Amino acid sequence: MSGQAELPIADHPAARPTIRSLSAVAAQWIVRIGDRLNPILVKETRQALKSRQFGITFGLVLLCGWVWSIVGVAMAGPHVFYGVHGPDMFFGYYVILAFPLLVIVPFGAFRSLAGEQEDRTYELLSITALGPRQIVGGKLGSAGVQMAIYLSAVSPCLAFTYMLRGIDFPTILFILLYTVLGSLALSVAALLVGTLTAEKHWQVVLSVLSILGLVYAFGGACALVMETLNWADLPFGESEFWQVNGAFLTAYVTYFALLFYAASAQLTFVSDNRSTRLRFVMLIQHVLCVGWMSWFWIGPARGEEEVLLAFMILIGLHWYVMGAFMIGESPDLSPRVKRRLPQSFLGRVFLTWFNPGPGTGYLLAVSGLLAALLMVVLGVAAQHLFESWNLSRWSSRYTSVTLAFGLLGASYATIYLGLGLLVIRFLRRITQVGILLNLLIHVLLLMLGSGVPVVIQLMSPEFRYLDYTLLQITNPLWTLAHVADRSNLPAEAAVLLLLIPFTAAIVFLLTLPGVAREVRQVRVAKPKRVAEEDAELTPVRPVKTSPWDN
Amino acid sequence: MPDSHPMIELRCLHRYFDQTRAVDNVSFAVGRGQVFGYIGPNGAGKTTSMRILATLDLPTAGDAFVDGFSVVDDPDRVRRRLGFMPDYFGTYTNVNVREYLDFFARSYRLRGEKRTDAIDRVMEFTGLDALADKPTDGLSKGMKQRLCLGRALIHDPAVLVLDEPAAGLDPRARIQLRQMIRTLADQGKTVLISSHILTELAEICDTVGIIEQGRLLAVGSVEAIQSPEQKLQNTVEVRVLDRVDALGEWLARRTDVTNLHVDGDSVRFFHVGDQEAAARLLRAIIEAEFQVTAFGSRRRSLEDVFMQVTEGLVQ
Repeated sequence: MSGQAELPIADHPAARPTIRSLSAVAAQWIVRIGDRLNPILVKETRQALKSRQFGITFGLVLLCGWVWSIVGVAMAGPHVFYGVHGPDMFFGYYVILAFPLLVIVPFGAFRSLAGEQEDRTYELLSITALGPRQIVGGKLGSAGVQMAIYLSAVSPCLAFTYMLRGIDFPTILFILLYTVLGSLALSVAALLVGTLTAEKHWQVVLSVLSILGLVYAFGGACALVMETLNWADLPFGESEFWQVNGAFLTAYVTYFALLFYAASAQLTFVSDNRSTRLRFVMLIQHVLCVGWMSWFWIGPARGEEEVLLAFMILIGLHWYVMGAFMIGESPDLSPRVKRRLPQSFLGRVFLTWFNPGPGTGYLLAVSGLLAALLMVVLGVAAQHLFESWNLSRWSSRYTSVTLAFGLLGASYATIYLGLGLLVIRFLRRITQVGILLNLLIHVLLLMLGSGVPVVIQLMSPEFRYLDYTLLQITNPLWTLAHVADRSNLPAEAAVLLLLIPFTAAIVFLLTLPGVAREVRQVRVAKPKRVAEEDAELTPVRPVKTSPWDN
Repeated sequence: MPDSHPMIELRCLHRYFDQTRAVDNVSFAVGRGQVFGYIGPNGAGKTTSMRILATLDLPTAGDAFVDGFSVVDDPDRVRRRLGFMPDYFGTYTNVNVREYLDFFARSYRLRGEKRTDAIDRVMEFTGLDALADKPTDGLSKGMKQRLCLGRALIHDPAVLVLDEPAAGLDPRARIQLRQMIRTLADQGKTVLISSHILTELAEICDTVGIIEQGRLLAVGSVEAIQSPEQKLQNTVEVRVLDRVDALGEWLARRTDVTNLHVDGDSVRFFHVGDQEAAARLLRAIIEAEFQVTAFGSRRRSLEDVFMQVTEGLVQ
């Protein structure tokens, strides 16, 4: 063998330029990627790696993993070589991993944002070029990095449990996936909580509540995992398992997006549009819910009434809660928001409901409820019309109960949201109505409508021992439960179906003048200085008009 | 870029906190490359107006503009042009000086060499080169002030808003800070600066605005905000061996003396007239058989102007 042939590849004269150029290209790419990383992610990773708290937590996780490995194996004794010890050992490691993932990381995200507000570094951050979504995204990314580090510490131990029999690899991955998703969801929720107030005393209250909530979530996750491990096997081979998981993950993604955008909206400058993006997410959630429910109804459930009832309850709650939040928005649009209002006929017809404002929000929620009701009507009709779908045939009694439930539910939501809108509109003449006061008013209205008749009935010797009476007509919870809890319409149905939708129509009409004022708002021109700068920054392009915006 | 608009403009700015009028109908404008001194006692409304300019607060009524852009409607465009140094430090734990500046440079979307150059330039300008690896929370107050100035300068803004930048600094650091601000103004940056130390502002400001209880009482150069009569006034201090009260009474009878204060063995007052008139006054005091041990006459300072402008105008 010649001396030249024995040279390492890197030292070979022919190889040197190629390797150097490759490493230079790689270095350039690393620098470019580093440049594109979220600044908050970079800063917080640097801070975390130097912080004592992270070092101690990480050390404790490693130590606990090591101790559990020794103790677990010692407890199993020689039996460890042939017995089934995977699930028990896995559960121990899971607890060690889940605590930092479900408690420490989300609470760290909360403290990170709350701490910035307390130390007033958030103010310095907010006046840079970073947008609110980048700020929330950076904090979330930082939480993700911490999760990855904790996972990497416990991964060898989890792999070890696979060798101890009794737990398969897909189950380990499945549990870990859902734990990471849970950690991310808790982190984004914690970030949202962190944006709610900058006042110290409220921050303390929220800190305590957050810790309690996170510890509760940790306990719930551990209980769920223990239950899962007690099963023989997760049904990975069954299509329904994946359909349910698909539906869950769809809901997860959209609610994650909603929380993320809500946290960003909280940090958005007051004169900016905080609402439209959230409303689009709500609409997407509605469409996905309709899609999944239709799939289940036509597919696996084969027309079972529970599917439609579940759909109506979910979508009703969704639009009621979202409507309550939207009604808390200010009716006055800033000139900045007005610059981007839809202007064309089609744009105004279809997109006005996404403009910020309590009236447009109310109308969007009512439209969502009516669209859901229409879907239920179509579903019931399809059951009778398309025999080829093999849907289970309902009796006419089931049909009328389902339709009555849908109509009453939509009407109640319209009434309570509308009353909330009218009360808040009146209060705005006297004082400022923030998001918390807005929510309080909605809760109070619902409590008055539901609680007062219950108390009256309980205190009345005449009605005390009766079941549902028409005294409860303002109580949506009892009324809807009363209608749904039987196979045919109750005796009070005629009165309920006449009065409740009629009242809903009256309340809706009462809100219309205010809604009309919001709808009439039109786009305003950019200030001259803004137009000048836009012209400088953007070269003139051929004008394109779309039917949505001109 | 058109130069028709001022770089900073406050138009009928109001900011109320419940019943308190923190800023009450304040209007002024600052041109490109000017240094504007914002003077007022604690709680006068300086910080509130500056926070509105920095897009950290919203006015109750009126508007403020930076390079022609409204702070209410176009905060993003304002932020690109403005560097704000608040009256607190805002440092992070476990971050050194270079990392701190790097973070803010990234936050202003400076990438690659531009970012490195900006950090180097700012560290050199503020004299922080030697402390690049020092943790920010371990810096002295003076060094923290420099770091905060560096952070405000990292994206090379055209407008700087500095809220009490000299507060708590030692004399050497103050002089250095003053020199830095003057250099920035010479580079064409528009600077709005507030300070309690009026002698410093007088040296570096082209224009001053005096604010008290939210109301702007006077705006202009130190010369311009004095009335023609005030421009002829000097501040005089006379020290005597004895009979200081008698001297006070004697001086109070004169028509060319105002704002008289007796303090220990000395009397301070405004005297109308030039230096020759001051010499004649000294001669008259000696002829009235007062035993003068010291006599000083100087032009009215910014402090004197401030005291006179704010006195009695806002109740």
